[in-house]
Amino acid sequence: MNTNLKISNVTKIYPGCVANDDVSLEFNSGKIYALLGENGAGKSTLVKILSGVVIPDEGKIYLNKNILKLNSPSDAKKNDIGMVFQHFNLFETLSVFENLIIDSDEQRENLKEKIDTIMKKYNFSVDLDVPVLNLSAGQKQKVEIIRCLIRSPKVLIMDEPTSVLTEQETSELFLSLKKFSEEGILIIYITHKLKEVMQLCDEVAVMRRGKLVSVSQINNENIESLANKMVGQDLKTIKKKKENTSSEQLIKITNLNFTSEDPFETNLVDINFSLNRGECLGIAGISGNGQSELFQVLSGEIISNKNSIEFNKNFIGDLNPQERREYLMAFSPEDRLEQAAIPQMAIFENVALNNFKSSNFFNNGLINESKIKEHSKKIISEFNVNTNNIDLKSQFLSGGNLQKLIIGRELITSPDLLICFNPTWGLDVGAINYIHETLIKINEQNKSIILISTDTDELLKLSDKISVIHRGKLSKIMNAEDVTSEKLGILMGGGN
Amino acid sequence: MIKIVKRDQPSKAIFFFTPVLAIFLTLIAGGIIFYILGFKPFEALKFFFIVPIADKYGFSELLLKATPLCLIAIGLSFCFKSNNWNIGAEGQLTFGAIVSGGVALLFYDQEGFYILPIVILAGAIGGMIYASIPAILKTYFNTNEILVSLMLVYVSKLILDYLVVGPWSNPEGFNFPETRQFSDSARLPLLFEGLRIHAGIFLALAAVIISWFVFYKTYLGFQMKVSGFSLKTAKYAGYKGKKMIILVFLISGGCAGLAGVGEITGPIGQLHREVSPDYGFTAIIVAFLGRLHPVGIIFASLVVAITYLGAETAQIFMQIPKYTGQVFQGMILFFLLASDYLLFFKFKFIGTKK
Repeated sequence: MNTNLKISNVTKIYPGCVANDDVSLEFNSGKIYALLGENGAGKSTLVKILSGVVIPDEGKIYLNKNILKLNSPSDAKKNDIGMVFQHFNLFETLSVFENLIIDSDEQRENLKEKIDTIMKKYNFSVDLDVPVLNLSAGQKQKVEIIRCLIRSPKVLIMDEPTSVLTEQETSELFLSLKKFSEEGILIIYITHKLKEVMQLCDEVAVMRRGKLVSVSQINNENIESLANKMVGQDLKTIKKKKENTSSEQLIKITNLNFTSEDPFETNLVDINFSLNRGECLGIAGISGNGQSELFQVLSGEIISNKNSIEFNKNFIGDLNPQERREYLMAFSPEDRLEQAAIPQMAIFENVALNNFKSSNFFNNGLINESKIKEHSKKIISEFNVNTNNIDLKSQFLSGGNLQKLIIGRELITSPDLLICFNPTWGLDVGAINYIHETLIKINEQNKSIILISTDTDELLKLSDKISVIHRGKLSKIMNAEDVTSEKLGILMGGGN
Repeated sequence: MIKIVKRDQPSKAIFFFTPVLAIFLTLIAGGIIFYILGFKPFEALKFFFIVPIADKYGFSELLLKATPLCLIAIGLSFCFKSNNWNIGAEGQLTFGAIVSGGVALLFYDQEGFYILPIVILAGAIGGMIYASIPAILKTYFNTNEILVSLMLVYVSKLILDYLVVGPWSNPEGFNFPETRQFSDSARLPLLFEGLRIHAGIFLALAAVIISWFVFYKTYLGFQMKVSGFSLKTAKYAGYKGKKMIILVFLISGGCAGLAGVGEITGPIGQLHREVSPDYGFTAIIVAFLGRLHPVGIIFASLVVAITYLGAETAQIFMQIPKYTGQVFQGMILFFLLASDYLLFFKFKFIGTKK
């Protein structure tokens, strides 16, 4: 039987950002659809709407011409929409079988039979009696898929399923998905990996900044054209003036490696680059490719080999962030509320987090509150933080004001190098412009910036040099003028 | 219709109100329990909470019990504020008592002003050494400090048992499981003739003031505060998170050790099997009831100390077991945790729509 899923004029607005802007799409069974876009493009929101996790502000969803009311994930299940999330929702200590039957009200024996049939039919080999924690990522995913298949879904949504899989597991997954599709299950495949779209899908819908950009047959596309659509060509023409970059080297990274014990972190492999005074190096990439690890290694949160980082002719790879600050480095991490600032503490206390010996915030181990407050007032006025109460808890600042405070805190000591990670993430246009202007200004003062960002527009606007990080490896460093969004998109997707 | 909604931000007023609410609810529940047991609720509560402290002697006993509770809770507040769950203060107290008791026994037949300071110091160091075990295991081997510190409680009690029965037992003590009496120079001086309250209370007050100063006025306290809110931020600011963890354990172990010293050189005057009626565990309740704030902890230690006294009076006058005291302590914590729900959620009354 043919399944028709229709999304009609769906809009979802979050405070400060339009996640889905009037999106309309139509899917028919027998085909595999790709939903392609950068981080923050709105794919996840759309998928959450389809699976009942998020309720749209406007718009309707139809399944076979009937309006669907999806107020909770169980509504989606009832209407035969199955969903496999990027991060598994499995009980690690329970056995595979227990995980499979846990949300079903059918008889155990019936289910056992059903599961056996499914496994045989699609050639899945998973031991039902072992605890899930003993399974590989690929096997866990199979458990999730079987859990959906038990309900004989009409629609199966896969959210970035290959991010945790090996090549071998990926090709197995693709075979299964094609088989499902042939059997009439409508498959929606969410990804930002261009190669996979070309390999697997029949039709592709591209999203950017909450809007649906295009829907097309895969035959009419190639990797370059998709990259272009994904990243967008509407680049702002205001680029910074390029005149006063000097040739004096400020920082040099040599053979920097980082191997993590945490399976959810990315290892860094042979990072090499150097940066001159007054330059901005942009590091592009899809999030989760090692940006956070790179930031931590550069900031000193992760300590590495002494000689791997040379800054201002000093080897500082083994220093912690506070010690690096004394050499005039400054850092603005990605996570404003969990790392760069402590929301439960007052503004002036947050200012004291960036502490130099010369700033005298702490004399003989005692807090010098008046000094910190004086310094805080200076930051607030110089960086346009919209408040005059420095005793206010920082959780009451808007995202933009908090980011101005953080950037201000880092810059007021006039460091030689600012390392920032997604500095404008989630901010409104006004704040974004302010931060961008500030960053351009410090470059003009012959200070350097390393800008790690998932926002390609921002990178192309601010950087002098650009590199792309993919699976913990940096691409070669390119001059920003030679870089096109197309090229960037391909490199970000792991192409050459 | 009543709906429960999340608060935009935790309410400051509620923050200080919930401990009071918890005590109130404990009284009500306690009254109900007494009623079921066949007592008149108000009379029973009076025996429990008012009679014990109605005279000078009772008040002295109250302060005597509140002293170790306050001291330990102050130490624990350092751990708890920085998200380190040291629940082995009872063991640190016991070990502090063992070390200081051992030192006091060395001087059993000597007098001298220098003895008491050495004994006190030994107790603090003993507590610190014992607290450093879960701290080091946590920082370097990722063990769970809750389990390690808790299990070490029983280890310390067994060590104490062995010592007072074996090598340290009083040679003239007819094989009772206790050591010699300490010399007077190793005893904390009594404050009033005929009352048991001793100079240990000054140790507790000093701990209150010092902890307030460290936490609110020093760079060290600032670093502990930051590390407690977010280890990620601490790391980013360049603070030494691991050292901070060990430090808070040492502080809390030291305080527990001092509480142990106060017990054996104060009212007890020797080592025997029962140096503490679970002060180390009860102090956890005190720390939370006092909202981990030095001043709050003073009040909380007084409130909880009453449950110890009340249980004794209730046993004498009403023939109910003194373990009722622990029931009350448990109820206080239970109601405190329950009413903390109000910190983050509020009830909203909405008219029934058709």
